[in-house]
Amino acid sequence: MSHAWIIVTEEKQVAALTLAARGMGGRVIAVVVGPRALADATAAAGPDEVKWVETSQDRPPEAYAGPVARMIAADAPRAVVANATAEGRVLAGMVAARLGAAVIPGGLKLSASGDKTVVERADLDGKVIETVETTGPVVTFYAGDDAANEGSSCASIEQVAADDAADIKVERVEPAAGADAGINKAAVVVSVGRGLKRKDDLEIVRGLADVLGAEIGCSMPVADDLGWVEKERYVGRSGQHIAPRLYIAVGIQGAPQHMEGVRGAKVVVGINNDPDAAIFKSADYGIVGDLYEVVPALRAALGE
Amino acid sequence: MKTVIVYKWARNAEDAAVRSDGSVDWRNAKMTAGEDDFAALEAAKAIAGDDDLVGLTIGDGDASWALARGVLQAVSVTDAPHLTDNASTAAIIAAAVRQIEGVDVVVIGDSEEYAGVPVALAGLLGWPAVAHVGSAAVSDGRVRIIRKQGRNEQTISIAAPVVIAVSAASPEKNIPGMKEQLAARKRPITKLTLAAVGAGCDDRLSSTATKLPETTAARVFAGDPAAAAAQLVAALRGEGVL
Ligand SMILES: Cc1cc2nc3c(=O)[nH]c(=O)nc-3n(C[C@H](O)[C@H](O)[C@H](O)COP(=O)(O)OP(=O)(O)OC[C@H]3O[C@@H](n4cnc5c(N)ncnc54)[C@H](O)[C@@H]3O)c2cc1C
Ligand SMILES: Nc1ncnc2c1ncn2[C@@H]1O[C@H](COP(=O)(O)O)[C@@H](O)[C@H]1O
Repeated sequence: MSHAWIIVTEEKQVAALTLAARGMGGRVIAVVVGPRALADATAAAGPDEVKWVETSQDRPPEAYAGPVARMIAADAPRAVVANATAEGRVLAGMVAARLGAAVIPGGLKLSASGDKTVVERADLDGKVIETVETTGPVVTFYAGDDAANEGSSCASIEQVAADDAADIKVERVEPAAGADAGINKAAVVVSVGRGLKRKDDLEIVRGLADVLGAEIGCSMPVADDLGWVEKERYVGRSGQHIAPRLYIAVGIQGAPQHMEGVRGAKVVVGINNDPDAAIFKSADYGIVGDLYEVVPALRAALGE
Repeated sequence: MKTVIVYKWARNAEDAAVRSDGSVDWRNAKMTAGEDDFAALEAAKAIAGDDDLVGLTIGDGDASWALARGVLQAVSVTDAPHLTDNASTAAIIAAAVRQIEGVDVVVIGDSEEYAGVPVALAGLLGWPAVAHVGSAAVSDGRVRIIRKQGRNEQTISIAAPVVIAVSAASPEKNIPGMKEQLAARKRPITKLTLAAVGAGCDDRLSSTATKLPETTAARVFAGDPAAAAAQLVAALRGEGVL
């Protein structure tokens, strides 16, 4: 049995980080780097204790990596869990160096077995789960599913002074290009990939989108290389991250960079003429067939 | 600012096949540079300006990758093994960075696969870091980076020394041709060993098993398009998403 720390810089997944850290069998202490409201939300999400480092207006959480690392290292936990965000990782990297910990991306599950810490982690874009173990401390970036808040109790919050923040300043924040694009709010998105042969054939896909009341999306090459659809509509790692109720990928291979943009979708459907296309490994439903036959058939079936 | 661009030359994880028993088959994997490395190099060039830009790679791969892209000198720690622990990999890179005199900025690809390497590197150097960077420049003696954060774009400025981890937005577009490859062969590569940089090579992690994830495969309909479409519509109505 061993206690563990979690590093919190945003409200997302706090309960899941806590649950993962609970795997070590002991208490969970959260360090929150951000505004008071984030500390309050964290306290309600399940950890036993919250240490709060207040950030000043123009400093990003990364500026507090030094003080956070010193605080956690002084407690010498066997495990630290952070989100895989840019901010979470930078804080965790400093903590790892201070602790002399191994760093494990893709963490899903932690456990303590005697003097060993065992971590299950997603590898190869989630195609495989690897079990790794060590007798030393570990720092992992959580890659599992979200979880519901544990119980209803509220942890105590202790503010921790951090006056030696690094010289990092946020100079400007503005909405990214396409942040207000309709695709971001749409309940249904029909997205098209390089399976489409000609720009004019977009009409076929629009026909389906119309009966569904859906917005049109696309894969990166359709916007970037071909220029058939506006850039603000491409979905993926470097494009839009969307969370529609239904996402229909038409003639899209299902590359990991593309699928990263629809992690929040409730139901994903793939339409592809290659039965081995990657999309069928991550979608919920699929139709194997030529989009030029399947899309009109789907439109007809929806009209019934 | 004197800048080091860290790049890797390794098996392409996209080519790895996972067998039905959960073991991984690397036989068809081709060697490739990190997906984000070319974007990191662009940022590194912008930061270095007229000052020195040094390439740094570890492992027995092709160190000329950066030299073919306009970098004039490179350092390679040739006997660095592949390690599961990202902090151990970072420790080798950190030791090599310390061998290069007067470094202001280390720029490195923010690879998803090795998401711990850049941040552990910053930790080991004791330098501040920013990750998921899109582009970078220098003005008023500070490094200014732009990155996407959720639906926002942030401009952040940082005093050197600093580690900048860059994420590519797309695949590399201007791949060097024959002429650049040939020029690269004439440029110097300093070959170092783990012993020379004073780095260890133990992996603190041992891998005990690999298995397939418990994802439920897609329900796939095939055959007559009209019938398949009708089945899909029924299923989606059942899910309540139509
Ligand atoms: C750093 C980086 C970032 C990237 N970011 C993104 C990103 O944000 N978003 C993104 O989308 N991509 C991104 N990519 C590119 C990504 O890796 C893929 O190359 C891209 O998503 C492929 O697009 P596609 O599936 O439309 O095309 P293809 O890979 O060409 O696939 C076309 C698919 O259509 C199918 N098909 C062909 N004809 C038909 C037909 N008649 N009927 C039905 N199916 C058919 C084929 O079987 C194939 O599966 C990124 C890449 C890199 C390196
Ligand atoms: N960002 C990086 N920079 C340099 N080398 C790296 C980086 N990330 C991983 N490596 C090394 O690249 C190699 C990847 O090996 P593999 O992908 O297994 O063939 C290993 O030697 C890693 O330790």
